[in-house]
Formats: sequence, C-alpha cells, structure tokens
Amino acid sequence: MSGVAATIKVMPADADTDLNALKEAIKAAIPASGKLNGEIIEEPIAFGLKALMVTVIVEDDEGGIEPVEDALNEIPEAESVSVINLDRI
Amino acid sequence: MAAEKPHMNLAVIGHIDHGKSTFVGRLMFETGAVPPHVIEKFKEEAKLKGKESFAFAWVMDSLKEERERGITIDIAHKRFDTEKYYFTVVDCPGHRDFVKNMITGASQADAAVLVVAAPDGVMAQTKEHIFLSKTLGINQLIVAINKMDAVKYDEARYKEVIEQVSAILKMIGFKPDEIPFIPTSAFEGDNIKENSPNTPWYKGPSIIQALNNLKEPEKPTSLPLRIPVEDAYTISGIGTVPVGRVETGIMKKGDAVCFMPSGATGEVKSIEMHHEEIPQAVPGDNIGWSVRGIGKNDVRRGDVCGPAGDKAPTVADEFTGQIVVLQHPSAITVGYTPVFHSHTAQVACMFMSIDKKLDPKTGQPKEENPAFIKAGDAAIVTFKPMKPMVLEPAKEIPQLGRFAVRDMGMTIAAGVCLSVKKKE
Repeated sequence: MSGVAATIKVMPADADTDLNALKEAIKAAIPASGKLNGEIIEEPIAFGLKALMVTVIVEDDEGGIEPVEDALNEIPEAESVSVINLDRI
Repeated sequence: MAAEKPHMNLAVIGHIDHGKSTFVGRLMFETGAVPPHVIEKFKEEAKLKGKESFAFAWVMDSLKEERERGITIDIAHKRFDTEKYYFTVVDCPGHRDFVKNMITGASQADAAVLVVAAPDGVMAQTKEHIFLSKTLGINQLIVAINKMDAVKYDEARYKEVIEQVSAILKMIGFKPDEIPFIPTSAFEGDNIKENSPNTPWYKGPSIIQALNNLKEPEKPTSLPLRIPVEDAYTISGIGTVPVGRVETGIMKKGDAVCFMPSGATGEVKSIEMHHEEIPQAVPGDNIGWSVRGIGKNDVRRGDVCGPAGDKAPTVADEFTGQIVVLQHPSAITVGYTPVFHSHTAQVACMFMSIDKKLDPKTGQPKEENPAFIKAGDAAIVTFKPMKPMVLEPAKEIPQLGRFAVRDMGMTIAAGVCLSVKKKE
C-alpha cells in the first residue's frame, strides 16, 4: 500500500467569505479515508480573493480522491474544489 | 539549487513489477540526489543483509519514511540534476480513479521514462500507460528495457521487446524512430550513467545522456488564448472577476475576449496574479481578471475564455475521440451517456457511433463499427455533448483536447479529441 498526496484548491463562495470558518469546515468535512497533511494555506489570487490549499493523503488503492472532493464540495462556503497536484509518497 | 538550469517534470511509468522504484532510486543515486546519510544507512543495511538486499527500491522507501516522519510532504526529495536540467519525478498513482485528476489537474509531466522489464515484455498495463502519457500531453519519451541482467544481456530478447513496444507506440501516435530505447538494469546500474560493458552491442546513449538530450519544454504562448474558467466572482468596486489558469496563449490588458459556450464578450480591464496587477498573463499563471461588459451570470465554471473573433474557443456539436476503456463492468454500446470531464467542464456526452476498434499489435483498425467495446479496448468513437461544451482537437490545442469519462463513481475511459464538428 502506498499513499498519494493530493493538493486540493478550495475557492470561497465569495470575496467576503470567512476563511477561518471555511478552514474549520474543511477540516471537519475530510472523510476518514483521507488525512489532512500540514496546515491549510491561504494563497492570494486576485482582487482580494484567496484560495485555500489543502493537502490530503489517501491510500493509492482506496479508489481515488473522489470521496474527499465530494465531501468538500458539500461545504456551502466552498465555491469550487479542484485537485491541482497528485504525488505518490 | 541550480536555479539557472531549466526544470522538467519527469513521469516514470510502467507495469507495477517492472522495477520503477528501483529505477528511480538508481537514477537519484547516480546523480547524487540521495542525501549522504541515507546512502550510509543504505550501505550498512546492504552489508547486514548481503548483496540480495542491494535494491535501490530501498532508497525510495527510506526517503518515503523520511517524508512520512515530517509533518509536511516535501516533494524536493524527488528532485535530481543532470548537466542540462533539473528534474522533478512525477510518481503517478497506480489506481485508475486518479486518471481524471491527472487529466483535469495541473501537474503536467514534460517527458516520461517508460520502464519495460525485458523478461516480461509488454503487459496490458504497459499499453494503458503509453496511451495515458499521450493523453496527458507527454510527447517526449525514453524507453528503458529494464532487468537486462535477468535475460543475460541478450541482444535478441532486447530487440524482441523493442518490436513489441514500437507497435504500441505507433498505434498511439508516437514515432518510435525518434525515441531512444535503452537496455538497462537499474539493479546493477547498467547504462544508467555510462554505457555498460555488459551490453557491448549497444552503442546508444545512457539514460542520463538521453535525459540531457530531451528538448526543453516550451510554454504554449504561440497558440490561441485559452483560459478555462474555474469560478466567477462579483467584487465590489471591480465588477465581474473570473478566475482560472492560463492554458495557452497570452492575454493582455485591453484585449477583446469572449467566454464560450456562454457567448459573453468584453474587454480585459485588469489582470491580477498573487494580488498584484500584471500587464499580461502567460501559460501557467493563476489569475483573476476583470472584464468590462460582462455580468456575473454571463460566465460560469466550465466556460473557456479566448480571443473574440475567429480564434474563439470551439463549441462542439459533435466530436470524434480516441479512447482507451480503463474499466467497465460490462459492454459499452451506442447510446451510453456518461459524464465527460475536460478542463473545468463536466458535461454528459452520448456515444453516437463506435467507429473503429484498434488492434494493439499493429495499430490498424481491427474492426469497423463494432457492436460494443469493453475494458482494455482502444477505439475511435463519435460523441455528442448533451449540453454545449468547449473542446479542441488535441493536434491543435492539446491542453483542451483531452478528457476523462466518468460513470458509477469510476473513471471509465480516458481519451483525446481527434476532430470537432463545430456548433454554429
């Protein structure tokens, strides 16, 4: 069994979304098949908008990162969720 | 670290037991990328257990342990330098469900090393991996015919395996004549750094020389502008701001742009990256840009921003694609309508006609208009999107010409777009 580290970019619902609350919601939403790696990082995009970068580790043979993506997509304050990097560890 | 050298993402692909980890371990060892304390530990271990434990996979395992101990994954562990480039190894996840993320995501490999074990030759997974590399836009390939020690460095066997691999490469659109094939033993270190006395019949480059011979990846700035929209925001005092990553082309302040399939048009008022205004955006830039003349509801995720006029993004009424079926519980027939993921778009598309099934051995069509296709098949299929979507022929704009097919929570197939019937 080997792990896969996925870097997931979560965009807030709007420019005024409380990012700390969103971070907590992300931490709470990550299903048992995934493990949060390190801190959730704020990345400036444009015009005051910030993305949250979340690194989650899942098992390679557990069937992908989809369950994590789906769970994060359920968060009302998250506008979009995209996996931007994958790496076997 | 050698910041002046050009950087390349290198994917190492191949069947699960063909020695990928040993290969990467050996490569990092020979290029001096393994930290001295790991090598020391490695030597001790080897001494303790005798020569049979002298597997370079061990180096990779130790690095993995190191990383797992740390709080944060540090991908710097998988970097190595040659004279000309510095490389980051892209270690592709094995599970097929990650294919969707590799197609829609950002981590693109610039080149790949395909590892094929000489005793086994081409396996089902080898074909799949070569196809996926092409789908993912990797055009530069090096083929290592590995585990040559296990076939007593037999040139005849080496040539047999080359023939098998070449047939698949041809089918998928690579040119075998332009690809270096190298007999290696990652375990023994043959032809990794220098040409080995064990293969006196081989006169070509070593793996490291072949890596140096790769062409430097170019940013696709000369292609028409394409920015798949990730999200659109309304920001007070600014207006409508789409965000996304530039895939191809250049966007400058003042440009007239359009958003397809929505059809909205406007003028670029300002572009920001990392909260700083920039005069122009190039491929790879993650930007937000404000556009005069559009409202928030005129543009949405899945739209593609491009130049207004005749180079606008192509909206597909129908398209033809070459796909490989990765997994499906039964048979796929005409009428099947799964969800296609391409750039930021997700649109259901119907299998209109299954035009050809391809023979993996010759690359020739094996069957015209087959009644069905199933897992493991490669085929040419015509699709109809159920809602308007932007897709480009991969030959013209590869970044917008690949897709993953999803159904039942699985990645069913991966494909490239061959041609598009434009929606008028």
